[in-house]
Amino acid sequence: MTIRLEKMIPLPMLEQDTGDSEVWEADSLLLEQGKSYVVEAPSGRGKTSLLSVIYGLRTDYRGTVTIDDRDLSTLSMKEWSALRKNKLSFIFQGLELFDELTALENIHLKNEQTACHSRDRILEMAGVLGIEQFLHRKAGILSFGQQQRVAIIRALCQPFDFLLADECFSHMDRAISLTAYQLIRRECDARSAGLILTSLNETDLPHTHTRLKL
Amino acid sequence: MRLINRILWKDHSRAHLLGAFLGTLAGFVLLLGGIQFYMDIKSVLTENRDLLDPEYIVINKKVNIGQTLGLDLAGFSEKEIEEIKAQPFADQVAAFISNEFPVSAYTENERFPDFITELFFEAIPDEYIDVKSEDWQWDPEKGIIPVIIPQDYLNLYNFGFAPSQGLPQIPKGVVSMINFKLRLRGEGRGNYEDYQGRIVGFSNRVSSILVPLDFLEWANQKYGYFKKNDPSQIILVSKDPTDPSIIRFIEEKGYDTIREKLKSSRMNIILKFVISFLVIVAAIIIGLAFLVFLLSLQLMISRSSDKIKRLSKLGFHYREISRPYILLLLLLMAGITGFSLLLTSLLAGQLHQTAETWSLNISSSLHGIIYAFALGLILLISAANMAAILISTKKLCK
Repeated sequence: MTIRLEKMIPLPMLEQDTGDSEVWEADSLLLEQGKSYVVEAPSGRGKTSLLSVIYGLRTDYRGTVTIDDRDLSTLSMKEWSALRKNKLSFIFQGLELFDELTALENIHLKNEQTACHSRDRILEMAGVLGIEQFLHRKAGILSFGQQQRVAIIRALCQPFDFLLADECFSHMDRAISLTAYQLIRRECDARSAGLILTSLNETDLPHTHTRLKL
Repeated sequence: MRLINRILWKDHSRAHLLGAFLGTLAGFVLLLGGIQFYMDIKSVLTENRDLLDPEYIVINKKVNIGQTLGLDLAGFSEKEIEEIKAQPFADQVAAFISNEFPVSAYTENERFPDFITELFFEAIPDEYIDVKSEDWQWDPEKGIIPVIIPQDYLNLYNFGFAPSQGLPQIPKGVVSMINFKLRLRGEGRGNYEDYQGRIVGFSNRVSSILVPLDFLEWANQKYGYFKKNDPSQIILVSKDPTDPSIIRFIEEKGYDTIREKLKSSRMNIILKFVISFLVIVAAIIIGLAFLVFLLSLQLMISRSSDKIKRLSKLGFHYREISRPYILLLLLLMAGITGFSLLLTSLLAGQLHQTAETWSLNISSSLHGIIYAFALGLILLISAANMAAILISTKKLCK
């Protein structure tokens, strides 16, 4: 899968000075499957907007975005839901967990769509991120950092060509962030998927990746 | 339970759904009960209905002194019949034919005194007569002649003749069991034959003794020797018997008709009015309950709007998201169908018992059409709600 942005800029960004942005000022930006991109910028520069446009949550932009040469603005609701089940996965900054479900049920909700992982594999991932003892608690009572890890595992419980991760380590300590990042990279590599990760200041992430300055 | 159902069902309001459920149930019971009751009463009324359909009008000539003196004709001439046929309100016209031989009836029953009377017969085509066809058949082999007599004859006997003579009164239902013989006489002495007579019905509308047409044609052939008379009565079928031009024509020509029938149909009209009122009230209740249903489900959806948007973000199609609501709707509808049919049939059973004490014969089980009606209505309400659910979830997922 390739994602191409052509002179794409969200309408609210038009009012801002985007002088040296490698994304908003680019005539054409190609994001390729199998590669990792880290989008770095301080708050308010449109990190979430960029991911939301690619994931179809925002349509208030100028220019065009295509996935495999299909203009995103022409996709039907059915095509979007198929895309979100099988091609694009998103770790939302706002997490989008269901408070009334347990952590494990939140993960199952996604996993059941495509029967992606076995229960053992899910428990294993939870173990890696150190949340297996919280899996049967309601998501609403977990700490934000724990919820972030639940959201990460949920996003990994589907097939995808691109994983969009929106500041997904913001409430974790350095060690867990690195573990989570490695888990994400492993899952991406297993699918030969691309990764677009936004971050306030992840300056020293391991593995090769392309940096994009907003 | 599926996770998505659990997520979306959490936001229901039990009071709203229960209210909508009970309201729709009440409306359904009232409506189905009303239809059941109407069909029962209709069948009771049909039993007592005249053997001639109300759109049939029987016309005869007014008796005047000219006829008495033999100067005027009592029957309708060919020309007069043609004239009636030519009227715009006359869809079908048929003349009565009458016997061309002497007839007498007599009883041979130990409980009644011997009784003999001269009679006459008239006949019209079978399609104008509304009795069970197996009762209205002439079979020369069996020799039983079915007869329809005016209701007044029975009234005269029961309320006038029988009490004054110390004879038993005869209920309508028993009349068909009375044994009497009919003697048909041909020309010449000793040329007669006896047949069994059987009264199969009464009419308020024809002042005549009716027999099947094929019998009378056969008998006229076999015994007839009178001069053929012009028919004294004409039966007229009109699509709209209330058409005032019919009465105008009849009066203008100096003919006459029995207007008695209007009285019996009034009862029918009042009953129809009461039932329609019941049905209208039931329809309003169902309409309101349907609205409450619609609004409860819509409220439930809008309370869950964040969750619905979240599910859509996770890749759930709006059809998948609307499924829990549709499932809930169908469960409630199935409950309403089941309960309303149960309650209506209990009601029908109760009504059946009450009616039995008045010796009215109404069915104790539900009419087939009740099931069809309940099902049709439920499908309609479900379809409308389903469409509303799909529309509003789709809107939220956009």
